[in-house]
Amino acid sequence: MLHQPVLEVKNLTKLYNGVAAVDNASFSIQPGEIVGFVGLNGAGKSTTINMLLGFLKPSHGEVTIFGEKVTLPNAAKSHQKIGFATGDMALFEDMTGQKYLEFIARAYKISTQTETYTQLVAKFEPQLDKKINTLSRGNKQKIALIAAFMADPELVILDEPSSGLDPLMQQHFLDLVRQQSEKGTTIFMSSHYLNEVIDVCSRILLIKNGKLVKDMPASELEIGAGKLVRVVTKVKVIPPTAAELIEHEKRADGYILQFLYKDKAIRLQAWLGTLPNLQDVTISDHSAEAAFEDLYAVQEVANV
Amino acid sequence: MFNLLYKTLRERRYFILGWSLGLGFLGFAMTSFFPSFSGGEIDGLLTSLPPALQGLVGDLQDWKQLPGYIGSQVFDIRLPIFASILSILLAVGLTVSEESKGQLRTLIALPISRRKIIIAKWLAIVIICFIASVGTVVGIEVGVAVIGETLDQMVLVRLGLFTWLLVTALATLIFAVGSASGKRSLTTAAGIIVAIGSFLLTTFAQSVSWLKDYEWLSFLHYFPATDIAKGTVEWGNVVFYVTLIIVSLAIAFLFFPRRDVKVV
Repeated sequence: MLHQPVLEVKNLTKLYNGVAAVDNASFSIQPGEIVGFVGLNGAGKSTTINMLLGFLKPSHGEVTIFGEKVTLPNAAKSHQKIGFATGDMALFEDMTGQKYLEFIARAYKISTQTETYTQLVAKFEPQLDKKINTLSRGNKQKIALIAAFMADPELVILDEPSSGLDPLMQQHFLDLVRQQSEKGTTIFMSSHYLNEVIDVCSRILLIKNGKLVKDMPASELEIGAGKLVRVVTKVKVIPPTAAELIEHEKRADGYILQFLYKDKAIRLQAWLGTLPNLQDVTISDHSAEAAFEDLYAVQEVANV
Repeated sequence: MFNLLYKTLRERRYFILGWSLGLGFLGFAMTSFFPSFSGGEIDGLLTSLPPALQGLVGDLQDWKQLPGYIGSQVFDIRLPIFASILSILLAVGLTVSEESKGQLRTLIALPISRRKIIIAKWLAIVIICFIASVGTVVGIEVGVAVIGETLDQMVLVRLGLFTWLLVTALATLIFAVGSASGKRSLTTAAGIIVAIGSFLLTTFAQSVSWLKDYEWLSFLHYFPATDIAKGTVEWGNVVFYVTLIIVSLAIAFLFFPRRDVKVV
């Protein structure tokens, strides 16, 4: 049974000098969902997020959060239940980490003595006694993430949240997202790192040139990642029927065929057995990033 | 809101300290020069100045008595220049500077309404301008004590309060432009045009006849410091500054909650 969406976006458009940075995007997010929002730089991810939070006024369309339409003047009302962090969050540089988090706590009318706060500090081990302007980007990012989660928000909106974090902290961050998910927190996060999106998100929204081009389960992208097959033969061969993104290359001593294969391994094995004068075979994992690029390319073709 | 007000004041503690000490020093230094001017030795020099330059130094008779001297030499001429710089730096810093650093977005992401942000920042302006005005007055008090003169305390109370009003009104005007537009160049230009334009208009109107008809446009027209020092307070001037503050705040209230905030 579907509940009332936590977040609903209808025909959202943002124009800059007549050019659409976000073009007629519509989607909704149910309570407890973790939705990844992916796209290349300039695709419109941040602009969309900035409209969700009431930083930017949509040129057309509307955003509803917790059943209330978000307008610029009233956005603060919903913020009581929203946590927010970006990868380049401008913190108040003159404060220490501790003072900053105390300021955030007072804004949310909570204390810094809560269990959530204590757990977050234990997880990220931020340098709270130092002034923020002396901290590295990664350490600032830890404070921004604690600030986003410390008030136990019902919805967390994250824009490239793990950029600047070292791999260990990135893992801590992903653990945190999973824990929050178990608690029923709804999370909407944009990311450059597709692996982390696949790792924690249940759904992926793909945005390209301001248009929402795909809304799919994260598992679809993961399963769809497939294998990258590269064969070298003396004569030109026909790829298997399940092959995608086929590339042929002629060399002086033979032919190279490369393709993406998502079908059963046994069929690939059978096909390889039919090849005459097979000289070399390489089968490698098709990375999530590569799968994403392919998906992006497919959408490009579909849009032409 | 008081959380934000406290943060704003705390972040500007060195600004407040610096400007209070600076304006205090201005008051002290100018007051300590009074004995040199109250004698007759400088009369010849001043009367020999061209009329256009006499407008810049004020009425000679005002130099003879301490209240008139303080009114004309501290509050009428020098203080408005420094107060204008303070106003521009303060208002630009609280609006477009914070916005261009992305800190305004961080604030707006919290459960603090845009109107509360305006109020908290404006209250910070009021408090900072008050402390700077008090700094000036304290500097003058020290100067008066050092030169062994006496001065009716109400002279400084009136001048201090009027200075507070003047600086707050100018800072609020620039603050409104910054809040409503979010544009640094427009905000800075508005502050400079109002400050420098007013200073030039008021000083040169005394000697450039055609400027006299436009002198009412000057921000300083409503701050006759010498008259205030002598005990004359035109309540119309108070009303002008208060009205300007209210209108400026209304503009900030109206436009800031409805405009896009720069995102870094």
